[in-house]
Amino acid sequence: MIPYLSSPVTVNWGITARCNFVCSHCFSRLDPSEELSPEEALRVVDILAEQSVMFLNYGTGEPLLRRDLFPLTSLAVSKGLKVTMNSNGSLLDAVAARRIREAGFHSVGISIDSAMPGTHDAFRRMPGSFEKAVRAARLLRDEGVPLTVSSVICKVNHGDFPALVALAKELGAHTIDLHNFKCSGMGGLNKEALDLSPDEWRRFYEAAVPMRDREKGIEIAFDDPILSLLGAEEKGKLVAGSVCGKLSLYIKPNGEITPCGFIPVTIGHILRDDFGEVWHGSKVLEHLRNKAAAGKCSGCAKFSSCLGGCTARAYAAFGTYDAPDPHCWSGD
Amino acid sequence: MIVPKRNPDVVWRLEKGLHEIAWDKARKEEEYEDLGVLTLMVKGGIHQLNLVGAEIWTRINGINTVRKISGEVGELFGWEGEETEEAVLEFLKGIEERGWVTLKESAGRGPAPPWKGSVTT
Repeated sequence: MIPYLSSPVTVNWGITARCNFVCSHCFSRLDPSEELSPEEALRVVDILAEQSVMFLNYGTGEPLLRRDLFPLTSLAVSKGLKVTMNSNGSLLDAVAARRIREAGFHSVGISIDSAMPGTHDAFRRMPGSFEKAVRAARLLRDEGVPLTVSSVICKVNHGDFPALVALAKELGAHTIDLHNFKCSGMGGLNKEALDLSPDEWRRFYEAAVPMRDREKGIEIAFDDPILSLLGAEEKGKLVAGSVCGKLSLYIKPNGEITPCGFIPVTIGHILRDDFGEVWHGSKVLEHLRNKAAAGKCSGCAKFSSCLGGCTARAYAAFGTYDAPDPHCWSGD
Repeated sequence: MIVPKRNPDVVWRLEKGLHEIAWDKARKEEEYEDLGVLTLMVKGGIHQLNLVGAEIWTRINGINTVRKISGEVGELFGWEGEETEEAVLEFLKGIEERGWVTLKESAGRGPAPPWKGSVTT
C-alpha cells in the first residue's frame, strides 16, 4: 500500500461558477469567483493529462452554460481523460444530448433529489425543474450516454430514497449517488432546515445500506466515510476516511486548487503553480492524509477506518480538519 | 494458446515514480510486493496491482499470448519459463474472475512458483 498516489485519480473542476439555479444546498453560489478563459481551460486539460489524472468531473455551476464545453471535453477525451459532469438538466435538450455523446463524455449525472416533482422543484428553487431533469435523463439514455442520477440526501428526501432509486432505475441510470448533505456555502446558511441529526443519519444509512447490498440493476453509491460506523464501507475504496487530497482534488472556476469543493482552503493555482508540487508538497494535503484523532474520536475503535469521517463537514462545523464529523452518531 | 484481453471498461494508469521505486527495490532485493504501482478503476471501485501484476497487465493487448507475456515477465525478473507461465496464468485467472480481463482459452495448471503477481488492495 502506498502512502498516496502519484496524482489524483479524479479532479473535480468547476469549469464555471455560473448557474441558472440557486439551490438551497449549493456550496458554490456564495463564491463569485471568475472563470478561466477558453485558452486557460485548454491549458488545464493539458496539465491534468500530463499528470495522468484518470477522471475529470465538471461540477460547481451548470456546465452547459460554458460555451466551450464540447471542444474542451473533446480535447480532454483525446488526451485519455474520462470526462463526466453533473448537470441540473434544464438546458439539456436533444441537440445537447447528441453533442454530449459526440464529445465522448464517459458519464453524465443529472441532479434529481426526489421522485416527487414538487419536492424536487422546491429544493432546487425552480418550478418545472423536475420535469426538465427527467427529460434530460431520458434524452441521454436515448443517445446511449451512460447516466447517473445525483441526489443530495437531506431533510426533504431522506425518507423517500427508495422511490428515488426506483426512478433512477426506470430512467436507465447505472448508478445513483446519494450524496450526504454538506453545510458549505448555501448549505451552511440552510443547515438547520436541511441537515439531518446524527441519529437521523444513522437511521438513513441503516435503511439504505441493505438496499445498496441487495439492489440489482443499479449501483447505489454514498461516498461517506461515516459508513465505517456500520461496517459498511464501500468496496474498492483504497483509502480510509475522506478521499479528498488522497484520491481527488478540486479546481475552482478561477483556477485555485482546494482539497475538495467543500473545503474552501486554497493550496495552489492550476496555472500558476506546479501541479505535482501542490499534490506532493502541500502541508494541508499532508495534514488531511495524516489526520489525528481529536475529541470523541480519541480512543474510538472506528477511527482507523473512518479517520474522523468527512473532513469537509468537520471543517465547516468546527474550523479544524481533525474535529469529529458532526454527522457521527458514535458515542452520542 | 491463451490470449488475455483487457475489459475496456477498466480505467487504469501506471503510478509515475512508484513504478520506478518498486523496480529499485526489486533490484536491491528489498520488499516490493505490497507496493501498488498500477491503479485501476472498475465500476466505481479502485484497486492496485503490485510490480509483477503491473508488468503482466501492461503486456495485455489482446494479441500477446500468456506464453509471450510470461516469457517477457520471467526475463525481467530472472524466473524460469514453465513455472512463470503457470503463475502468470494463475494471476490472469484471478483477475478474470474480477471481470478485468477475458481469456480466450482455458489451460491446465501446474505447481505455482513461490512468487506471485497480486492485487494489493
